Amino acid sequence: MNAVVRENQPSSVLVSLRNLNKHYGDFTAVDNISLEIRDGEFLTFLGSSGSGKSTTLSMLAGFETPSSGEILVSGSSLINVPPHKRDIGMVFQRYSLFPHLNVRDNIEFPLTLRKMTTAERQKRVDAMLKLVQLEAFAHRRPAQLSGGQQQRVAIARALVYEPRILLMDEPLGALDKKLREDLQDELRHLHRRLGITIVYVTHDQEEAMRLSQRIAIFSHGQIVGLGSGYDLYQSPPNAFVASFLGNSNFLRVKSVANASASFEGQSLTTVPVGGLTAGQDVLLMLRPEKIRALSVEAAQQTALPSGWNEISAKVREIVFLGESLTCNVVTPGGTELTVKSLGSGLQNVQPGADVRVRWAAADACLYDQWNDADLSKGAGAH
Amino acid sequence: MLLSANAMGPRLRFGLFTVNAVIAAFLLLPILFIVLLSFGSSQWLVFPPPGWTFKWYEQFFSNAQWMQSAFVSLKVALLTTVFATVLGLPTAFALVRGKFPGRDLLYALFTLPMIVPLVIIAVATYALFLKFGYTGTLTAFVISHVIVALPFTIISIINSLKLFDQSIEDAAVICGASRWQAILKVTFPAIRPGLVAGGLFAFLVSWDEVVLSIMMASPGLQTLPVKMWTTLRQDLTPVIAVASTLLIALSILIMLVAALLRRRAELKG
Ligand SMILES: Nc1ncnc2c1ncn2[C@@H]1O[C@H](COP(=O)(O)OP(=O)(O)OP(=O)(O)O)[C@@H](O)[C@H]1O
Ligand SMILES: [Mg+2]
Repeated sequence: MNAVVRENQPSSVLVSLRNLNKHYGDFTAVDNISLEIRDGEFLTFLGSSGSGKSTTLSMLAGFETPSSGEILVSGSSLINVPPHKRDIGMVFQRYSLFPHLNVRDNIEFPLTLRKMTTAERQKRVDAMLKLVQLEAFAHRRPAQLSGGQQQRVAIARALVYEPRILLMDEPLGALDKKLREDLQDELRHLHRRLGITIVYVTHDQEEAMRLSQRIAIFSHGQIVGLGSGYDLYQSPPNAFVASFLGNSNFLRVKSVANASASFEGQSLTTVPVGGLTAGQDVLLMLRPEKIRALSVEAAQQTALPSGWNEISAKVREIVFLGESLTCNVVTPGGTELTVKSLGSGLQNVQPGADVRVRWAAADACLYDQWNDADLSKGAGAH
Repeated sequence: MLLSANAMGPRLRFGLFTVNAVIAAFLLLPILFIVLLSFGSSQWLVFPPPGWTFKWYEQFFSNAQWMQSAFVSLKVALLTTVFATVLGLPTAFALVRGKFPGRDLLYALFTLPMIVPLVIIAVATYALFLKFGYTGTLTAFVISHVIVALPFTIISIINSLKLFDQSIEDAAVICGASRWQAILKVTFPAIRPGLVAGGLFAFLVSWDEVVLSIMMASPGLQTLPVKMWTTLRQDLTPVIAVASTLLIALSILIMLVAALLRRRAELKG
């Protein structure tokens, strides 16, 4: 399962959030979050709108005071440290450059506050301008820059005083797709070069996957999943994460024995799960690309490998997407499944045809607890 | 649906043009009339003037009373500008940023002088100053003018504060500036156009204010509009036209400055 090559795995803990809460009146925006952020890692808060990502980040920055809980950096509490003394860098969604200062003065601002010598300031600003490739724009005002350039200035301004932690709240949200991808690459390189700890907020899954070493998935003010993008996608810790990340199919099955279950009267092989009682409702999750759909003839010709399951279904719709093919099928019991295949096997199948749907038991995830509301996309917001 | 000038028929366009021209003339003619009269040679404000002269201007500038009232006007207007801006700034901040019960009520209260008839404010402040023996003083002038000028500075500053993205101030804070430093170094420069516009409005409000000023004035201390008013009741000299012209000239100048500053602020983004 851990087939992905990992970047230098950071180990020591830099920031600890302990039982962090934030209430607005009787509304709970952040609900008892505990999280350890490792030194040098790129961690992303991913979640739908209103799930508490920004509020958590704001408490880390010091703009919001936690209702209860503790924030530790290198073991010492930040709770009573005002934001301007936290030595944290932050990049905001709307660039937030100082409109009356040019690029150079914007980047120099934090250094002026720190009473550095002119020579030192100059050296650092020059280095930053070079890092974000804006040497030619040093004397422009923010209003004379494009969105991408403005955000690069904001990044330079946040890095110039060499904070240990860089917070970014949807920094690329206002940019168009192409520019966003370019800046994502730049950010990844920047992170690798500087070794700084980055806590990043986004509601864009692809961006989270592309950038982060670890992702914390937020829902209703809680962290409901934490891990690498790969692990969270391949073996989601719960049905919410499964449905939130990428596409998923859910089958309601009944546990029969340790490694078998029944689905609409058919018997299925599952990976062995402890603690299930016979007859218990279990949710089985399958990623669309892990399922094979075969025409009835093809299924007769190809033996079912051991450890695989097969059920029958009817084709509803086939959509050809160039490199892949998406096929919607429905079981006799009315469960809809989405099958994504990279070509072969389904070309001659028409909507309405009977097919056999197969998957390896090892590719399915099983949940004995779930919330039906979590199974639809867009769950997780308040 | 936008009404575009090009999409309109020529007849409609001509009609609109005429209506606009008539309205503009209606608004501007009295001003033009009084400006022309100030240069007219007739003692009796005859129109059209039989000839042209600067002698009324000479009379105005050589008359100590006129000059003094112009000077008082200027002084009161400048002081009003300063106080209305200095008081308006923290008020606007509190009204925009503050989270306290009764904030909307307070806003209504501060802008009330824009709605309440001036006469009522004039009588009320007069009664109050009478009680404390302040009538006829510069203080009375300035305080009463600040009362009516304050809504203008407050609204102007509130508008620019609302347009100002507070995350810019937060950015300064996270960069290492205390909240106060951030407000001073980042927020103030960013809302300066609103601050200046508010100040200019305050100046204008005071500069041509007459109702309050008549109440506050004493024979020894009166503003230009009051002097015009009292003179007007004695005789109809063209010097009044001169005073009017000067009053208007400064007002127009200030409005031009305000427009210019706004243009510059817009260009800067
Ligand atoms: N000052 C506040 N007063 C009351 N409620 C607030 C306040 N700030 C945030 N909230 C609420 O707290 C919840 C979490 O907000 P937060 O900004 O953290 O969400 P988010 O995950 O960043 O969402 P988005 O992706 O839209 O930015 C929201 O429901 C929001 O309405
Ligand atoms: Mg947010």
